[in-house]
Amino acid sequence: MSDISKEKQIIGQLRGILEESSTKEPDWDNFGRNSTIESLGLDSLTILDLLYDIEEEIGVHLEAKEVLNITTLGELVDLLIKNGA
Amino acid sequence: MKHLRHLIEYGLFRVVLFFFDFLPYTCTCTVARGAANVWWLFDRKRQIVGRDNVIRSGIETDPKKARAIAKKAAHHMAIVVVESLRSKDFLSDEDTTDHLVLDIKPDVLAVMQDPEQSLIIASGHFGNWEVAGHWVSRFKPVAGITRTMNNPLIESIVKKRKSRFRFRPIPKHDSNMGRFLEVLEKKEFLALLFDQHAGEYGMMIDFFGHPASTFKTPPMLHLVTRTPLCFASCRRIGPMKFKICTSSLIHQPRSGNKNEDLKAILGSLNRDLEAAIRKDPTQYLWGHRRWRD
Repeated sequence: MSDISKEKQIIGQLRGILEESSTKEPDWDNFGRNSTIESLGLDSLTILDLLYDIEEEIGVHLEAKEVLNITTLGELVDLLIKNGA
Repeated sequence: MKHLRHLIEYGLFRVVLFFFDFLPYTCTCTVARGAANVWWLFDRKRQIVGRDNVIRSGIETDPKKARAIAKKAAHHMAIVVVESLRSKDFLSDEDTTDHLVLDIKPDVLAVMQDPEQSLIIASGHFGNWEVAGHWVSRFKPVAGITRTMNNPLIESIVKKRKSRFRFRPIPKHDSNMGRFLEVLEKKEFLALLFDQHAGEYGMMIDFFGHPASTFKTPPMLHLVTRTPLCFASCRRIGPMKFKICTSSLIHQPRSGNKNEDLKAILGSLNRDLEAAIRKDPTQYLWGHRRWRD
């Protein structure tokens, strides 16, 4: 699978997770690499929920500390690819 | 004006602290009970909340008896302050058998003694949680969330006192996941009180048979970081004498359904806390609005 299609697939999976669990309604029209973590309704507490779901849905275990430092969806996608997604 | 008020409060606090440090334990307890009585007399709202919570828990159905339990709980909280201020007198000793009875489950003790493992200790506002925090710091440094005093001068003394032994207070306003993860990464203990109303961050879990918004932080940290988790309580069993108990380690294999996993762990923690409270209902903070429906 090419890098671009891989990235698209992961973004789709993340959207699926967030549609299920997000308490806020993110701006889905502009959902993409540049979406900020904050705009997705995630904070330091809810990010643990996301990590649980990522591990279940995508099968990748991310270190919580690493994820806390990211600010955009693109950085999260890169981190997932780096960890074998 | 504000600074002057802080200075006056600070002065009074130092005087009270001086007497608390040097008066015999029984005298300080009498003073603390007296202060609690004055507070009880004027804070009618807390009286009602406390009484109604006792009734709602099913521990006592008679309003008069429920009120009496809530009042004794107010006395207890005042004595918690006295004990916490004086606990260094006995916790510094090598041998604490005159003051502490320990019932630590072997799997928890093994984690406490393992330098390569951190531990999440979940507890409630029951008994004297500060004494427990200070005792457990004999094994490894402990970090716990504490409320910051409004007066910065008093806060500096309280912080100094709370930081005795290897207990590191994390101010409530500065408590975030980054701080918690840092503690766990250093293989230290993270002590979290989970029994306050959690609002929108919480999950509705039965507490004494009634749904209450409960903090998800301890189980989420356990599920995501795989850090061992246990429940602990510290009940007063005599003057300056306590029984510290833990549950066994909570093992909740990930089912793939996050909400079910959270419900299972939080249900277990709430049941452990209920069991501790039933042993002595007068040692619980009934004045907090735990149920808000």
